[in-house]
Amino acid sequence: MTDEVKEVRDGEVVPAPASQGNIEKSNHIRSLIWGAVVAVIIAVFLPAPLFASNLSFLFYMMLWLTMAMSFNFVAGMAGYMPFGYVAFYGVGAYAMGVLYKTFGMPIPIALAGSAAAGILVGLLVAPTLRLKGVYFGIVSLALAMAMKLVISLMPRDITGGSLGLILSSANDPLAAYYAMFLVMMGALAAGTWLSMSRLGTALRAIRDDSEAAEVVGVNVVATRLKAWIMATMFPALVGGVEAWYTNAIDLDSSFNLLVTAKSIVYAMAGGLGFLVGPIVGASALYGIDQLIWRNFPTLNLLILGVVIIALMLLLPRGIVGAFAQRFSRFRRFIP
Amino acid sequence: MLKVDQLVKKFGGMTALGGVSLTLPDQSILGLLGMNGSGKTTMLNCINGLYEATSGEITLDGVSLIGKSPHAVFSEGVGRTFQVPRVFHQMSLLENLSVALLNKGLSNAEVAEISAHWLNKVELYRLRHNYAEELSGGQQKLLELARIMVANPKLVLLDEPFAGVNPGLALLLIRIIREMPKEVGCSVLLVSHDLTSVYELSDNILVMHEGKVLAEGSAEVIQSNPDVIEAYLGA
Repeated sequence: MTDEVKEVRDGEVVPAPASQGNIEKSNHIRSLIWGAVVAVIIAVFLPAPLFASNLSFLFYMMLWLTMAMSFNFVAGMAGYMPFGYVAFYGVGAYAMGVLYKTFGMPIPIALAGSAAAGILVGLLVAPTLRLKGVYFGIVSLALAMAMKLVISLMPRDITGGSLGLILSSANDPLAAYYAMFLVMMGALAAGTWLSMSRLGTALRAIRDDSEAAEVVGVNVVATRLKAWIMATMFPALVGGVEAWYTNAIDLDSSFNLLVTAKSIVYAMAGGLGFLVGPIVGASALYGIDQLIWRNFPTLNLLILGVVIIALMLLLPRGIVGAFAQRFSRFRRFIP
Repeated sequence: MLKVDQLVKKFGGMTALGGVSLTLPDQSILGLLGMNGSGKTTMLNCINGLYEATSGEITLDGVSLIGKSPHAVFSEGVGRTFQVPRVFHQMSLLENLSVALLNKGLSNAEVAEISAHWLNKVELYRLRHNYAEELSGGQQKLLELARIMVANPKLVLLDEPFAGVNPGLALLLIRIIREMPKEVGCSVLLVSHDLTSVYELSDNILVMHEGKVLAEGSAEVIQSNPDVIEAYLGA
């Protein structure tokens, strides 16, 4: 790296034509690092069913990677904290179950229906994007509760009532595994595009100061809406695929607030705003979570809570964020 | 040319601007003085669309800015800075500048070239990959100024650019502001309590008092105006 410093000296501005080369080099290295991360993810998850004895661990690892990544679209890039993020997961799960079981649709169509349902609910609540900070968070939490209530009030022969839906005829864990793999790859592709696009830059500006972003030409409402739609589709798909994998859907699991909590914690632990942040956070914490679960089944949540508190206190910007702050000269290489 | 005609802004029963008019010719600097609460920042907020004017007209080169959102006003060529600098803290300096160029239809190479030029100009180029939050308050003011200048604005609204800035950076700021009209071709509306800088930089000065124009003229005229002395400058 020969990142030459050029600046004003003795009142004379030194032109910096070489800077473009430096920036291109930084972008190239960042792309290489990101490419390597994606290659490792593919290498781990694509052939895993051939070798792994515990498919479930890998399936849920992909699930949390996808949830954390899509949460990063809206929290890390647009600055929203949707406490009711589980609403889209739950709606996706039920859309898949109802379309498959009640209306006899094939699985791929039912999953497309999950994505569509997530986007539709996202559009319905889009006017709340005008709200800021904790107000938006609370409204989104209310949305999750409202969606749970709406589904519970729907006719029992459609949603299965309090018993939920059993999809035993759809049982195909391997196919569901690869469906989750495709959803995860979709989230990776969306994140890659978002972080390198002008939309991603606008979103990060909005996250830092929406009014200042507006003042320098960013159409805040339109930009937030785009990110929001993207962020609602993936949890809905994840909910749908998870319903396929487990063959069971019920209100309490589909709208469990722990889904939101884990998405937030995993994304924040890695570092919001970075592409690799949620990947690092979800991989590390989900691994730790499973380790604690196996060795201390009765103290699992307590120990995990302590680990999360320690992480937030010591690394409030997450693992990747802390690295970027400590070694700021390498920040430009971090995807 | 900026023209503000009989601008009124009311907040409930309180009148912040009571029919202010001003004209700012191209490539000139207008200093805006006044006590706290005299309506200076409200004026800037109305011009750049953060506040909706109650009545009156604002035009830039004949185009009305009334009713336009801040991003639309920016695309008409109006950039502004804030009293307390509002940079994008968790973005690098280069990224901060690139935000203002997002809708200009420029290539990445052009964005990088323009950004490097302005970061050089404000002497922050060596920190271009740092987070903006790592800068001092004064450096953040310079970054904020560079962020609007990359977009080649027609009109620049500067709100207290010297507040909290150390003397060295203030001198740099003064030099850059002085050069802006000729180098970029923009006009500048400068709000400041730093009388020396306003007198030195401004082609014309307007003094506001309780939402109205108290006096207007050159530095000499303002300094000798008895109403201004009584209301603002003191004996």
